[in-house]
Amino acid sequence: MEKISKGSSSARSGSEETTSSKRNILYGSSSPHLRSEETVSRVMIDVLIALLPAALASIYFFRFNAIKLIGLAVITAVVTEWGLQKIMKRPASIKDFSAVVTGLLLAFNIPASAPWWIPVVGSAFAIAIAKQAFGGLGNNFINPALAARAMLLASWPVIMTNWVTPGADAISTATPLAILKGEAEGTLPSITKVLVGNIGGSLGETSALLLILGGLYLLYRGVINWRIPGSYIATVMVMTILLDGGITNMIYHTLSGGLMLGAFYMATDYSSSPVTPRGHIIFGIGCGLLTSIIRLYGGYPEGVSYSILLMNVAAPLIDKYTAPKVFGEVKQNA
Amino acid sequence: MREIIKLGLILLLITSISAVVLGLTNDITKGEIAEAEALVSEEARMAVLPDASKFEEEDTDEITQIVKDNENILEVYRGLSDNEEVVGYAIKTASPGYGGNVEVITGLSIDGKITGMNVVSHQETPGLGANATTSDFQSQFKEKPADNEIVVTKSTPQNDSEIQSLTGATITSDAVVKGVNMARELYNNNLK
Amino acid sequence: MNLMKTFKNGLLNENPVFVQLLGMCPTLAVTTSATDGMAMGLATTTVLLASNLVISLFRKVIPDKIRIPSFIVIIATFVTLIGMFMHAYAMSLYKSLGLFIPLIVVNCLILGRAESFASKNKPVGSIVDGLGMGFGFTIALTVLGIVREILGAGSIFGIQLLGESFKPAIIMILPPGAFLALGLLIGLLNYVNKLRKNKADNQEANKSVA
Repeated sequence: MEKISKGSSSARSGSEETTSSKRNILYGSSSPHLRSEETVSRVMIDVLIALLPAALASIYFFRFNAIKLIGLAVITAVVTEWGLQKIMKRPASIKDFSAVVTGLLLAFNIPASAPWWIPVVGSAFAIAIAKQAFGGLGNNFINPALAARAMLLASWPVIMTNWVTPGADAISTATPLAILKGEAEGTLPSITKVLVGNIGGSLGETSALLLILGGLYLLYRGVINWRIPGSYIATVMVMTILLDGGITNMIYHTLSGGLMLGAFYMATDYSSSPVTPRGHIIFGIGCGLLTSIIRLYGGYPEGVSYSILLMNVAAPLIDKYTAPKVFGEVKQNA
Repeated sequence: MREIIKLGLILLLITSISAVVLGLTNDITKGEIAEAEALVSEEARMAVLPDASKFEEEDTDEITQIVKDNENILEVYRGLSDNEEVVGYAIKTASPGYGGNVEVITGLSIDGKITGMNVVSHQETPGLGANATTSDFQSQFKEKPADNEIVVTKSTPQNDSEIQSLTGATITSDAVVKGVNMARELYNNNLK
Repeated sequence: MNLMKTFKNGLLNENPVFVQLLGMCPTLAVTTSATDGMAMGLATTTVLLASNLVISLFRKVIPDKIRIPSFIVIIATFVTLIGMFMHAYAMSLYKSLGLFIPLIVVNCLILGRAESFASKNKPVGSIVDGLGMGFGFTIALTVLGIVREILGAGSIFGIQLLGESFKPAIIMILPPGAFLALGLLIGLLNYVNKLRKNKADNQEANKSVA
């Protein structure tokens, strides 16, 4: 049972039952009179469920480092949000789990060899600057976890690219994308390894299979729409077949690096992506194009985070040009 | 019409005064500026060829032609000891790096060794490629023989022709080594 | 005219960087170290003083229709002079400030003060305004430079402050760090001003009630 106040959307968190005063009350509100069980926390919990397999895989592969980094990232995110909202005298919103999701996604973006303060600084930045400074949930214009990753990469480039092999002894290794680009020597790991995740990379990006599974769950639950991840991944596949010589490389490009993580969990962030369906497709294609170009011709072996951030900034423009025409609207110059 | 002429004349007056002031100051300072610039270049050359006490531009026809034709070879100086003997050369080169050209001065002694290397100007990323100016990186080149090509390696250098790349800055390291190799080849082909 | 008020105006109320948001280009580019920030601030102050004085002295003589080109010529002359003196007598500073020295000419602060103050006020007042605005600019750049240098290089004015274990956040000496630091400083200043205003308003309210 939800208490609806005039003009609000039907997705409000919480389902508090008040006492007897509720029995004979008529609620007044404007249309659309839609009922939904969807709340912010429900959506966030779904995302956490979807990310759980990949999180468990990262703990399996990277052992204690994964636990340490994920834990620190999540705790810092929640504490930062709680603390800031207290200082700014805003209502506390940590119960909606969005800070937890941000913290987890941030942790997924850092290498297992990172020192303890990297997720702390990153999470604090993601929540304080990328999210709260711009108005909090629903108002962030870029993906907070990716913004934090970009900041971390620019600040501590050597630490943030120190990839290690899965397992107890963390030996420095090259990611498949770096090998593809010719930046690192070594042979490409087998495709099975890449699917399962037994390769070097940041904490959450290694297991393509589990990330895809989580993505399918989110699609099934209606949390995300197929348009953005579909068009994003399809564009990368087409670009890499055409420009990087063939099917095998295309498979490596699709399954390794941050593509699965980015396409299903980052590019689909509600407030930083366009609203219209056509906008979603344009957004996805844009991300795909930029990712491919950066990977193949740019200065870095991985382009997912920068592509999504750039498209985030373009999202309002995309929305403006794909806004549906209102019935009866007369052209100005007619 | 008259007003335009009046305005033009006033502007002419203002700009003339400015021109005179600037011309005077230029006269006063140009000596100092030339000296200061020369000092900076001389210090850079001294740093890479410490045995020399003074430098002269290498002005043989052959070298002058090479410097003129090759846009990556900027300067060739010979280093002289106190009694006017040639002890080596200081060659300044430019090679494309990550953010622009990387200018390197390489010092080569007449007994075929690299006596030092100095990155004199660059536009590389702070914290990564900019570390090319640290003495840790630059001292790797000292005492290396000049006859073989210097190669960048990511792991520990195994022999005298290898130097270790800067962490996370392969492009910068490649650019620097390219500059040193250009100097080396010029030395081997034309100056030995 | 209250000279002290004019001077303090440039420092706080109408601080060129934090309030008027003028001269952003050198502010963001040159504050990678406290020394560079301070040097740029002082160089700009010198030009501002000189141009304010000259423009104020000749304000009745320069015709209104050609005042902008005249101002620019005067400003550019002083900038070139400063550049030449720095090149001759302060070579390392000249090299580190690089092409931002000639860019002082287009620093909106200088043309702005010329247009809005020096061309309409007496020389003494114009000098004081130049000093106030110039020092306000210098303080802003120095503060920003200190913040960026400590966080981005672990040093202050070139002196290593924090030990080996502090890994400086390189982003602070890159352009994004400039924007972040400046934005946060402006936010902080606005917050402090808001608190001061609230306190003043409360005192006013208490006074009228009493």
